[in-house]
Amino acid sequence: MIHVTTVRSPACRGVLESIEAPHLPRGYRAIYAEDIPGENRLAILGSEIPILARDRVAYAGEPVLLLAGPDPGRLAELRDAVRVVVREEDPVLEWESFDPDQVVLRRSADSGDPDEAFAAAASVLEARYRTESQDHLYPEPQGALAVFDYDKLVVKCATQWPFHVRDCVRSVLGVKPQEILVLPTPLGIPMDGRLWYPSVLACHAALAAYLCRKPARILLSRDEDFRFTPKKARSSVTLRAGLDAEGGLTVLEARIVLNTGAYAPLAAELLEQACLQVTGSLSVPNLRVHGYAVRTNTPPLGAFSGMGAAHSAFAAESLASRIAREREEDPLEWRSRHFLRKGSVLITGERLREKTSFEEIGRMLRASSDFARKHGSYELIRKRRSAIRSEESPRGIGIAFGYQANGAAFAALAADSFSVESTLNKDLSLAISTSAIAGDEGIRAIWRSTAAGILGIPAGKVYFPAVSTAAVPDSGPSVLSRNVAVINRLIERSCVAIRGRRFRSPLPISSRAVHRARNPLRWEGDVVRGYPFESLSCCGAVVELELNPWSLEPRVLGVWICVDGGRIASERFARSALSTSAIAALGQCIRERLPLEGGRVPEDGYREYGVLSLAETPPVAIEFLPWDDGDPLKGIGELPFLCVPAAFSAAAAQASDLNADRLPFEGGEPLAGMDGL
Amino acid sequence: MKLDFILNGEDVSCQAEAGDRLSEILRDRFSLLGVKSDCRSGHCGLCLVSLNGRTVPACLVPAFRVRGSEVITIEGFEQTDEYSDLREGFRKSGAEPCEFCRGALLLAAASLLEERPRPEAQEILERLSTVFCRCHDPAALVRGVQTAAELRARRMYFRAHR
Repeated sequence: MIHVTTVRSPACRGVLESIEAPHLPRGYRAIYAEDIPGENRLAILGSEIPILARDRVAYAGEPVLLLAGPDPGRLAELRDAVRVVVREEDPVLEWESFDPDQVVLRRSADSGDPDEAFAAAASVLEARYRTESQDHLYPEPQGALAVFDYDKLVVKCATQWPFHVRDCVRSVLGVKPQEILVLPTPLGIPMDGRLWYPSVLACHAALAAYLCRKPARILLSRDEDFRFTPKKARSSVTLRAGLDAEGGLTVLEARIVLNTGAYAPLAAELLEQACLQVTGSLSVPNLRVHGYAVRTNTPPLGAFSGMGAAHSAFAAESLASRIAREREEDPLEWRSRHFLRKGSVLITGERLREKTSFEEIGRMLRASSDFARKHGSYELIRKRRSAIRSEESPRGIGIAFGYQANGAAFAALAADSFSVESTLNKDLSLAISTSAIAGDEGIRAIWRSTAAGILGIPAGKVYFPAVSTAAVPDSGPSVLSRNVAVINRLIERSCVAIRGRRFRSPLPISSRAVHRARNPLRWEGDVVRGYPFESLSCCGAVVELELNPWSLEPRVLGVWICVDGGRIASERFARSALSTSAIAALGQCIRERLPLEGGRVPEDGYREYGVLSLAETPPVAIEFLPWDDGDPLKGIGELPFLCVPAAFSAAAAQASDLNADRLPFEGGEPLAGMDGL
Repeated sequence: MKLDFILNGEDVSCQAEAGDRLSEILRDRFSLLGVKSDCRSGHCGLCLVSLNGRTVPACLVPAFRVRGSEVITIEGFEQTDEYSDLREGFRKSGAEPCEFCRGALLLAAASLLEERPRPEAQEILERLSTVFCRCHDPAALVRGVQTAAELRARRMYFRAHR
């Protein structure tokens, strides 16, 4: 076994002039970009990233050289002795007011007549909402193992997309797909942080194994992982809303800027989802959106749960609360006049084909959280605050809504097909072959119960052959609730097909169900077309908090979530998924912020990164709208990311009388300047 | 240096440098992979072990501190009745920690139940805060530990009156 360590760029941006490696002892090898036998690039849905930087570096910490050898301790010494010479250029770090050459991708869309609507508006309100970068903090370490097994190179790593790993390794080594076998290792809660980066590490390990002809392992330390691997993109969403005399929202103009760091991985997906959900739960008859994915010289920033949509949903729902506050209306009542409903026109020009349930969700939340009474009394206190001198902690309560677009196909994958194969064996056991990665046992329980119900066999007879790219079909990336919205449907279809042949053909009977995106988003200039999701699941959240009267540090007192997720296959797993997502979303609101200093994450960044501990988590009450057994299953895991931040922001705004338009909430900053006193 | 200690109830011995981390010794020399060795700074708590009856992050324990001590990892803890109580309590309550944090969580919960046989919710959350993982559902974990506490109390009652 040899170990692999990464030599990284010391500069954020510049020309890579030379890499001076020390004399390497016998058994050790340096691997340069020139040594890559295939292509020195990793393709991820329209973005390209070098496996090893060759001429230029785009962020501090970018891999420029691999060192492979038997002793990890000696490798670390050798790594420290390598001199990487970069002719530095000024790093590009500004992103909200960007230069045109920073734009990786631009998306625009108009619906209705925004100009005329603004001209007719009785009032116009403008606000900007910003979110910071957040770390995924998955529990498993980042690493990969590559081992030769006869005529195949076997690659093991924790990934959400095994076939992407295979295709990248194949391309980097310049070999045939069947020469690479990927065996995914267990995943914790990946938060979409394992979508593509494991492929980079797999390529590094595979390169070392291929060139040294020995099994190779790469394992990043937690500090290395924190400082140099992708995080959540930063966002700035500026909204300009036109209102009629009754306070009705008639027009919305949005400028979305996503800082996607170096190489802008997944920029298209993030930006398109952000544009798609720019109105949040609201229906706006006249709409104009300009979206930009911008490149900077920070480590790559990209996907996180909520995939782009969370950025714009936070902005839209926060704006809705602000409009209601300024008009002195109940935020729920104001929203109820604007909710997306069946037939509402989407940004694509298509009409929403299914009914939404925001009104019912609002009613349930109002009752469970006592929203109307609390909101009314906190609002009264807020208005009288200047007249009353009090050292009591000010309180606030906020509400927000959101929807999850189930099975929203990645536009870049629209032409591809993904499948699941089921086989009913002679002993009436059912094998379901899929490369989809079940993050927890809950997903498999859902798949098992779906298949068992259709075929009338005990759930215990349903099993899943180990995922291996040689043995299971490509089911696509496990992201955007595809495991429920797409994979479960494919399992359903394949089992229905088996049931149709059950007493006509001898066992074993196999059936493969194939998924193709029906009507994906298509951007043509300033026009976007398509109906880009299979179904919607709706959600609302109420957050109640109090602020420290001196530092304005928030303490969340309670979170109430109500979900319409179609049929809930396992209430236990659903509650658990929603609760963990709500806590991660609150982490973003209160504390989690990737420290970036001059484009770099500092060495002690991981230790300084603030997270909510279990002891600080508030009670999270979860309820579901009633469902029928015939209702479809829908994804729900991302819903809290779409409405909890905006509910928090509304509550913080009410408690602080500030516009809580930036996450994490910065109410605590007024005291920061007093540290030195 | 030669390191003699009691590991999961057995006398063991190995060679180690004085500053080697206990987490690495347990994984590399004894193949106890239930001990996760991740942040190496005590932050994540995934490497919790019981050292002389106290749960500590093994990544912060240098080898010389282990000499003559008793170490219990999740692999050893799995052989005990206390483990069965917790596993059953978690199962009944729908607390399903992921396989990366499960061992550390169970050891932290067990140490709490040793000290406080009937812990309050906040005590449970504070003790389990030593382990960080995105998979945690606080309400389910509280129910899990409290259910385990009931099972444990019942087991001890029957043992005392057998």
